[in-house]
Amino acid sequence: MRHWCLLFLIFAVTGCSEKPQTMQVAGGDAARGKASIQRYGCVACHTIPGIAGHGSNVGPPLTKMALRAYVGGVLPNTPEDLVRWLQNPPEVDPRTAMPNLGVSEAEAKDIAAYLYTLK
Amino acid sequence: MTVKLRTVGIAVLLALVLAAAGAGLVVYSGIYNISATAQHTKPVFQLLEYAMRRSVKLRTDSITVPDLSDRQRILRGAGHYNSHCLQCHGAPGVSPHALAFGMTPAPVNLVSTAREWLAADIYWVIKHGIKMSGMPAWEYQMSDQDIWDIVAFVEMTPTLSPKEYAALSNESAEQHANRQKHTRKPSMAAAPPPSAPASLPPSVPASIRQQGALLGDAKAGRRAAGQYLCATCHEIPGIVGANRHVGPPLNGIGSRKYIAGIISNNPENMVRWLQNPQQLDPLSAMPDLGVTEKDARDISAYLYTLDDVE
Repeated sequence: MRHWCLLFLIFAVTGCSEKPQTMQVAGGDAARGKASIQRYGCVACHTIPGIAGHGSNVGPPLTKMALRAYVGGVLPNTPEDLVRWLQNPPEVDPRTAMPNLGVSEAEAKDIAAYLYTLK
Repeated sequence: MTVKLRTVGIAVLLALVLAAAGAGLVVYSGIYNISATAQHTKPVFQLLEYAMRRSVKLRTDSITVPDLSDRQRILRGAGHYNSHCLQCHGAPGVSPHALAFGMTPAPVNLVSTAREWLAADIYWVIKHGIKMSGMPAWEYQMSDQDIWDIVAFVEMTPTLSPKEYAALSNESAEQHANRQKHTRKPSMAAAPPPSAPASLPPSVPASIRQQGALLGDAKAGRRAAGQYLCATCHEIPGIVGANRHVGPPLNGIGSRKYIAGIISNNPENMVRWLQNPQQLDPLSAMPDLGVTEKDARDISAYLYTLDDVE
């Protein structure tokens, strides 16, 4: 049994060598982003890991945003496009229910930096 | 005596633990070559082949085989075969296409299968596919009638020379040109709505509850979700392997306010969305997957059981 546990431990610790994630937002600061997310009340609609909320489920949960292939189901999830989406979603997709919250470019970069910590 | 028994017990247990650890090490070290250019070892291949035959046999006893000798049926079958099967399995005198050459296990020549397998077994494999072999399940892409048509054709291939096969193919293509083209199941639009509303969890809002009768069978929906490739893009609780993040995770989709961030979440919209996302949002990255209305209702029923977002 001890062998088995040891083996499991080795598995758990080492894991696989995956492709490194290169989701970096130039000029974005995740800590400031977290504060912005709280200020803009993003959790009123989304469940966001690391942000206190009551499990809102208006839009999709933002778990693993760093791994997500599309933003809003319409834009490729690149740092530039995520920053663009956060500043003005209806401009990107007129049908989206997510409103323009008046997020500045600097704030959008910070928020994107935080979202990319979610893996 | 008791001491001896205990010694034996400990030895057996130790052997099992070491075997498990050994198997674990083989897996972890990556020493087993997963590439399709490396053949399985003979024992592994024989074991897999035997297990596959036994597994099919266990599930085909109660299948009633229809009349497969009808010429029209065989002609239709040849058409379906040429559209969907020939690429991998070839046909008398016809090579499979490029994609089949690199497959391990190699797709079999079905003339020999027809000689050795019962019709019911062939039907079952076409309908359900074989895990990890490259053989897909056609259940959600073809009607039972289409599948039996193919079986009828495959069953008579051992009697065909390449020339006769070519002639049969031509005749089939001519007939096909005169018929309306459809490879998918007939539309379920005429089917009566399901009588019993699906049972929805308490957290599902009343607006959705009222339209519950629109929903199908959650269990069938979970199965269908596996067959329409939902798992290749979404994390979906209850579906093994559904851990991709191309689109949003679907945990909590049952109680989410919007579908795809654009339309209110109610059964009618859900069924429409699943059938044709880009009709509702032309910008959506989610494609039209050819989901039939019945399957869309069943999948919706399953999605509405997913009410926990966290």
